[in-house]
Amino acid sequence: MRRLSLGSRLALLFAACTAVVSLSAGVLFNRASESHFIELDQQLLDARLAALRGSLAGVGNREDFQQRRERLPAELNLSPDLALRVSGADGQRWFNAANALPDDLPTQAGLTSLRIEGTAYRVFNAPLDPSKADSPQLTLILDITHHQHFLQRMQHLIWLTVSLSALATALLGAWAARSGLRPLRRMSEVAAGVSASSLTQRLPEEQMPPELAELAQSFNAMLARLDDSFQRLSAFSADIAHELRTPLSNLLTHTQVTLTRPRTLEDYRETLHSNLEELQWMAQLVNDMLYLAKADHGLLTPRREALELADEVDALLEFFMPLAEESRVRLRREGKASLAGDRGMLRRALSNLLDNALRFTPMEGEIAVKLEHVAQGLRVSVENTGEGIAPGLLPQLFDRFYRADPARREGSSEHAGLGLAITQSIVRAHGGQIRCESGVGWTRFVIELPTSH
Amino acid sequence: MKLLIVEDQPKTGHYLRQGLNEAGFNTELVADGITGQHLALTGDYALLILDVMLPGRDGWQILQAVRSAGLDIPVLFLTARDAVEDRVHGLELGADDYLVKPFAFSELLARVRSLLRRGSAATQETHLQLADLRLDLIRRRVERAGQRIDLTAKEFALLEMLLRRQGEVLPKSLIASQVWDMNFDSDTNVIEVAIRRLRLKVDDAHPHKLIHTVRGMGYVLEERNA
Repeated sequence: MRRLSLGSRLALLFAACTAVVSLSAGVLFNRASESHFIELDQQLLDARLAALRGSLAGVGNREDFQQRRERLPAELNLSPDLALRVSGADGQRWFNAANALPDDLPTQAGLTSLRIEGTAYRVFNAPLDPSKADSPQLTLILDITHHQHFLQRMQHLIWLTVSLSALATALLGAWAARSGLRPLRRMSEVAAGVSASSLTQRLPEEQMPPELAELAQSFNAMLARLDDSFQRLSAFSADIAHELRTPLSNLLTHTQVTLTRPRTLEDYRETLHSNLEELQWMAQLVNDMLYLAKADHGLLTPRREALELADEVDALLEFFMPLAEESRVRLRREGKASLAGDRGMLRRALSNLLDNALRFTPMEGEIAVKLEHVAQGLRVSVENTGEGIAPGLLPQLFDRFYRADPARREGSSEHAGLGLAITQSIVRAHGGQIRCESGVGWTRFVIELPTSH
Repeated sequence: MKLLIVEDQPKTGHYLRQGLNEAGFNTELVADGITGQHLALTGDYALLILDVMLPGRDGWQILQAVRSAGLDIPVLFLTARDAVEDRVHGLELGADDYLVKPFAFSELLARVRSLLRRGSAATQETHLQLADLRLDLIRRRVERAGQRIDLTAKEFALLEMLLRRQGEVLPKSLIASQVWDMNFDSDTNVIEVAIRRLRLKVDDAHPHKLIHTVRGMGYVLEERNA
């Protein structure tokens, strides 16, 4: 089923409201006129009744009535719509000026309305002398067709008003809705114009009505996030291609050059060794990227085993000890902390930080790993002495393929710049956060992990 | 020692068989799951190397059939997929080890040897020896040509591993895993440094070097005629 547009929906609602309002006004007016007419008729009939009572005063039986009946047509002629019936107390009909009407008219006292063959009447029954129980009965019958005509005309007018005003408001409503919804249409135009190649378009938030400003804001924020992720993704793909290009071109060149003419066994062996190194580097890169891709898809699910972080850190420091001793860097740990986490993953995360710290700590420097429990969990910080990192570069540290020193690696077997990104993924998989702080002479990576889940 | 490889990619299978044969194993290769399962159940193999994705029957089905037939052969899985569920699934079914492609052949060889060694009853040795290098496991002392060498605990563990597996090329990742219990791919050069320091103590003063680097593959402890 096709759904109604907002404009048509609003127009229909407007029309329905107008119809209901004008219809109820009409019905009220109709009711009021009707009761007004009843009042008028009652007054008229009361006056007639009083006159008749005057002319027929003292009549008790048929004979008396016959004597006075000559006067009646004159009385009745005063109002041509009026007819009269007179009956005795026993119900016998004495006089009937309404022969066209059926005999069995209502007999209860007071005013009754009825309709006979398309003509409306009011029937008014009253005793001739209210003080006597056996008084003859007077029945006054008033033709009220002209009232009915008026009421019918009124009704037609009401229906006409209702339908015309409904139509008018539907049209006006459609127009109003159309112009009122213009910002929404503009929004959908922008949304339709957004594609991977033009994520930079934004909605003018300040030009939006307050109801839509919030929506526009969230829409713009969504675009900004999409844009950012898309930029990262394309940069990532470009980086992958670039990272793989160097070793691939080395492999191609070296292999082709080696094969151009016969060589000694030693040369072949050397070529294969060199190729092996490139290949190993590429395999490591691919494995790291797969690891990150898994993290991106939320597939990095840490096991939760009870860990004493102090033990893990000590094991890692022991592992890195030979490397640290080479450059006479002191390694130390302070504090203790425990949590439920994945041993292998956390060791990997911390080993990347330590490896990174060792690269940038000068001879005779120091690397300190501090463990402490804080309000919401625990904090692990890895601090090393050495040249600080410029504040502008801190947020990029965790980007894939980011290297503090771009000249550091181009085709060498140095790391690919994925270590910190992997550490960040592991920390996030544990529900934590990582950041880097730096000052003059020191750099510190701070991991905050929640202890409860 | 007979090994069975079930691997449907011809190039991978061919090189694996060649590598293992040259390492001294008698290796058979089949490329489909049905033949693979038949051979695994009827042949007398010391080890199975199974790819997960296979035509006919996949590696897990073969493993299940082998285990339900009551055979206790060690099984090593190779797979291109590194999903944790896969790993858990394989180990639940009774796989003994797991390697994710791309892997280094030296890594595979070292793991194959570990698995085969696991089966044989480990004799309680008190000494390990190669040429004039002697390691006393009880007193935790090392001597070369009668001269005592002082080693740290980790250096001792590293030398013990090299001696126990003398003649085998040990990849860096295996050394990190066995000696330091670091089971992750790491591009750090800690192992190189550790080996260099061990060499300094064990080999430097002697004309016959025992610790050798196999470029791109790892380290080996063996006597070589210069």
